[in-house]
Amino acid sequence: MNKTQKSAWCGLVVTLTFLLLCLFLFIELTILKKMFFFMNLLGATLLFGLVVAWVIFICKKQSPTEVKTDERDKLIQTRAIVASFISVGILIALTCLILRFIVGISGTIAVWELTLINFLIFEVALLVYSVAILVQYGLGGRDGEK
Amino acid sequence: MAKNEIKNQVRRLRFENGEITQQQLADKVGVTRQTIIAIEAGKYAPSLPLAFRIAQTFGVPIEGIFQYQDEDPQPSATSPDA
Repeated sequence: MNKTQKSAWCGLVVTLTFLLLCLFLFIELTILKKMFFFMNLLGATLLFGLVVAWVIFICKKQSPTEVKTDERDKLIQTRAIVASFISVGILIALTCLILRFIVGISGTIAVWELTLINFLIFEVALLVYSVAILVQYGLGGRDGEK
Repeated sequence: MAKNEIKNQVRRLRFENGEITQQQLADKVGVTRQTIIAIEAGKYAPSLPLAFRIAQTFGVPIEGIFQYQDEDPQPSATSPDA
């Protein structure tokens, strides 16, 4: 597994954790109408720890001759960025459309809801980027004979 | 639509040149092992500079490693029947 793949796996784990935390926060604020401070702090610490582990994992070199990225990695990353960019466009359009039907054309939403939506769009874009990288490696980069 | 393929002899040449591993070849030409695997499997066509580096590593001309195969060749413009 090369650095790009490792980074994509880390990105996937961090993104899914963040999405789960967002879902938990959403349930707290809308359904339970009660904040669980300790649980939120635990979740934030876990997320921070995962991000730190991600950075350490990427920076750590396995061998002195190890190549960080090559031309194929860059091609895969470019395609993943395009997929991620398209997903952001689709998500923004969908969000506008859904909000139009939920709160109406002149309706308002709370600031925390807008913040959560923006973070969710960013996280889904990162998720699409990581999945696109892993799918491309899966299609053409299986480990073969040494 | 014509299906074009680039065949390569990388695996054969690795074994003929002292059975070097994919990792050793990758280190010599400056790419990751996954890229060598993809090239050998015919799933990735390398850039011209990388193809030249691989050819230099094995000491053979580039056409000795990579061969272009057009499965649906176009009829020649200078055909005697024309």
